[in-house]
Amino acid sequence: MNKLLLVVLALLTCMQGYSQEKFTISGTVRVQRTGETIIGASIKAGDAGTFSNDYGFYSISVPAGKYTFQVSAVGMLIHTQSIELGKDITLNIALEEEPKMLDNITITATSKNRSLSSPQMGIERLTTKEIRNIPVLFGERDVLKTVQLLPGIKAAGEGNSGFFVRGGAADQNLILLDEATVYNASHLLGFFSTFNSDAIKDVTVYKGGMPAQYGGRLSSVLDIKMNDGNNQDYNVSGGIGLISAKLNVEGPIQKDKSSFLITGRRTYADMFLKLSNDSSLRNNTLYFYDLNAKLNYNIGDKDRLYLSGYFGKDVLAAGQTFGLDWGNATGTLRWNHIFSSKLFSNTSFIFSNYNYNISIRSGANEFDIFSQIRDLNLKQEFQWYINSKNNIRFGFNSVHHTIRPGEVRPSSSGSSINLSLLQKRYSWENALYFTNTWKATDKINLTYGLRLTSFSILGEGDFYTIDKEGSVTDTLSYAKGVFIKTYINPEPRVAASYQLNETSAVKASYVRNVQNLHLISNSTTSSPTDKWVASTNIIKPEVSDLFAVGYYKNLVDNNYELTLETYYKTMQNRIDYRDGANVFINSDAIETQLLFGKGRAYGIELQFKRKAGKLTGWLSYTLSKTEKRINGINNNKWYNARQDRTHDVALVVSYQLSKKWTVSANWIYYTGNAVTFPAGKYHVNDQTYFYYTNRNGYRMPSYHRLDLGATWILKQRKRFSSELSFSLYNAYGRENAYTISFRESEDNPGKTEAVQLALFKYMPSVSYNFKF
Amino acid sequence: MYMRLIILFSLIISLSLSSCEKVIDVSLKDSEKQYVIEGVVTDIEGGCVVRLSRTKNFDENNIFEGIGNAVVSVTDDAGNTTVLPETTTGVYRSETLTATTGKKYTLQVSINGQTFSASSAMPVKVEMDSLYVKEESFFGETVKLANVQYNDPAGKGNSYRFIQYVNGIKEKSIFIRDDDYSDGNISTITLFTAPDEDEDEIKSGDRVTVDMQCITPAVFKYWFSLDQGASGDNNSASPANPVTNIEGGALGYFSVHTVESKTVVVP
Repeated sequence: MNKLLLVVLALLTCMQGYSQEKFTISGTVRVQRTGETIIGASIKAGDAGTFSNDYGFYSISVPAGKYTFQVSAVGMLIHTQSIELGKDITLNIALEEEPKMLDNITITATSKNRSLSSPQMGIERLTTKEIRNIPVLFGERDVLKTVQLLPGIKAAGEGNSGFFVRGGAADQNLILLDEATVYNASHLLGFFSTFNSDAIKDVTVYKGGMPAQYGGRLSSVLDIKMNDGNNQDYNVSGGIGLISAKLNVEGPIQKDKSSFLITGRRTYADMFLKLSNDSSLRNNTLYFYDLNAKLNYNIGDKDRLYLSGYFGKDVLAAGQTFGLDWGNATGTLRWNHIFSSKLFSNTSFIFSNYNYNISIRSGANEFDIFSQIRDLNLKQEFQWYINSKNNIRFGFNSVHHTIRPGEVRPSSSGSSINLSLLQKRYSWENALYFTNTWKATDKINLTYGLRLTSFSILGEGDFYTIDKEGSVTDTLSYAKGVFIKTYINPEPRVAASYQLNETSAVKASYVRNVQNLHLISNSTTSSPTDKWVASTNIIKPEVSDLFAVGYYKNLVDNNYELTLETYYKTMQNRIDYRDGANVFINSDAIETQLLFGKGRAYGIELQFKRKAGKLTGWLSYTLSKTEKRINGINNNKWYNARQDRTHDVALVVSYQLSKKWTVSANWIYYTGNAVTFPAGKYHVNDQTYFYYTNRNGYRMPSYHRLDLGATWILKQRKRFSSELSFSLYNAYGRENAYTISFRESEDNPGKTEAVQLALFKYMPSVSYNFKF
Repeated sequence: MYMRLIILFSLIISLSLSSCEKVIDVSLKDSEKQYVIEGVVTDIEGGCVVRLSRTKNFDENNIFEGIGNAVVSVTDDAGNTTVLPETTTGVYRSETLTATTGKKYTLQVSINGQTFSASSAMPVKVEMDSLYVKEESFFGETVKLANVQYNDPAGKGNSYRFIQYVNGIKEKSIFIRDDDYSDGNISTITLFTAPDEDEDEIKSGDRVTVDMQCITPAVFKYWFSLDQGASGDNNSASPANPVTNIEGGALGYFSVHTVESKTVVVP
């Protein structure tokens, strides 16, 4: 690591020696009307170019001289000025929003050009503007469901917000909200995500080639940034839809200096349950809510503080008998400091919590089950815009995890359930990283970096030795604060791009990712009670290696874009439950229920996108294979992972009919998941049971669905605007198999039959949104 | 900013969340036939029964013919072997063999030259203190459910299985319980049945009988994994064959357990 740093620094210094005297233009890019900083704005001074960072900051170094200085961003008017550069200058830019109501509609690119020169691969960026017209289930705009329409990203199931990236499992996605890890990003058992799109500024997905500042999950990074809050004027916006209502309030605390934002959402389907005559519905509870809040404060020109938080909860109850609630809470305190026009620093202190609680009140068995994962996290990052050819990022990240795997408490004195508290598990995760983007020649760009991670398992606690059958053979007890084991893993990150000509480029990358927190789930759908487990002496860190190559082409004045990426990924130390494992086992040795193995995934992803004009959208296609080999499952042979789908197609289009109307449609097709079906049946206990041979040897039927949407702008004034959104999910009413189960025939008990369950056949919805 | 009062309204078009279920054709490959052994030895005379059958292909009928002409025996840890004669095709019984707590019993089955074996020790008998039917609120509905109370002895490892009969008809659900969370306590198990199956509902005047078995942890695991993975219901865990205690490659189980039965008439 040290050697590498030295070599790199030597390289940089000698390159600087060659360059003529240069000056730096730096500053922050914002939206004029709201004061929101703009992420990823394109900044150009002559031929040199850069992008603003996550906090709107940019820095560009060019030789002295006259330049046309240009700043552009999605949905903004281009800012152009000429400058004569003879010293370092600060230029804070405020961009004007594009007027929406032009007589002859000319819609500019809805997303910025995929940078051909940047070596970054496998990246997709979405702004909330881009997702607003996409029709969705229950009309609830959802970033996670939009992300699933991209190539290489697959939905975990019908209407589910869980997703699989390039053969990875649902727990292999690092989901960040203002840098804080969100451990369970779904509401209502997966039908909604925890992200209220009204509070979100920017969503970036890395399905490969993650930069070195990210780590901890094998397959992807979903980096979600909340809005900062308008520091110019007060704003209220909201919406009311089929199942939820939301409200967003923002405004300046001190104009230009500080602002606040509060966004809330709550579903009210349960209020309708109360009106029902059916007592089995009326006595049930089923709702969730989200609250996002943010404060930010500019201290002078060089410092800015942000405090942001998220709190969400789901509550589910069946009368008084059974209750389940779960939720995430995150908090992030950040300090931006501009050391110089070339050195930007961010320090973050982050808190993250996920817990669930089950309460059972039945007869003599009254008890509660509680489980929690809690992180305290310190991050420091520097971005050093060394010169026009090199851009360095380095920093560290230190996280302390506390996991409470399960705590059972009797809730009445007569309960037959004993108090049982599984041992808390403590761990400390550290990462040191460095990455440089180097403009080697006009055509070749390189990003190289290293993330060095350590994961220490801390006492106190008992750790085990386990035999092949899963029985504990030895127990070692450790005292509080003792370092029980430390896993150290270097994670190299390399990417290169070669620009073939003005409009096309090829890129290649390699990344290694290491994961030390594992979600063990044995159910076919994600459940809030799935267990997060940290690496132990037996559970080894999971490791993935991803190789990818891509071709990128911009067509017809950048109005169209063609992307082709292919990848090969290997995964080590994958975890699965043993057959007959008990998820709620009352033992600290969870390892007795587990098996270990490996995985591999490969595929080709193709996307064709139209970015400008009345008709925008994309067509994506993925051809892929995902397999697992777990010692003790399927006779130790490779088998298809559940999320293995050969073909995956998504067509997303949006058409602006008139000033007031926009219509849209999605069509989705994929090969059914791999699934285990019976190989035979037998009789035990006076009943028919099923006999299985090959794991995941069958496939669910192919899935396809068309969704339609329309947005009708009712009013568009400076002070008040409102719109109605209509959507129809599954417009041609395809009965897609959600599950297939096997049973004795109801009509003819002498036979067995397969029964398909389908959800959401035609699902219309309407929502009303306003802003003033 | 002009704060204005606005009236929010919601438009709700019919909520067609209704899910739909239909029978479909799935073409399933045939598999090699496997033997299925259900072996039981209890503390009651006449309770020693071993049933032998085979797996069938999915599209065949549900008549599972027994396997005759097998040699079936149970040997205790003192070396006393009882050969079980075939009483009807595929059913092998001993009218006299009973199991004693603490003793280990080994089942031996040989069918057409293939042999299978399984061992199980007889668990301690825990008595059923009471059986009663009580109204419970279950997913918002009030239903009558059977409850069994017993006093779990100290020390983990006690496992139980309950079989419910309503007016002589056996309930299909598998009711099992261990003492992982309730070791050493006076314990009550409520025999929950799915509320949508109306025909199973307990009504006033019904005769409810519950058999209580004290089973071994290995057999508990068998019933647990059978219920989780082999019922054909695709909603929960990955489908898989249950964890058996039979060696030699057969499906099924060998359970040595105590039996106690109580009956109540629902008030």
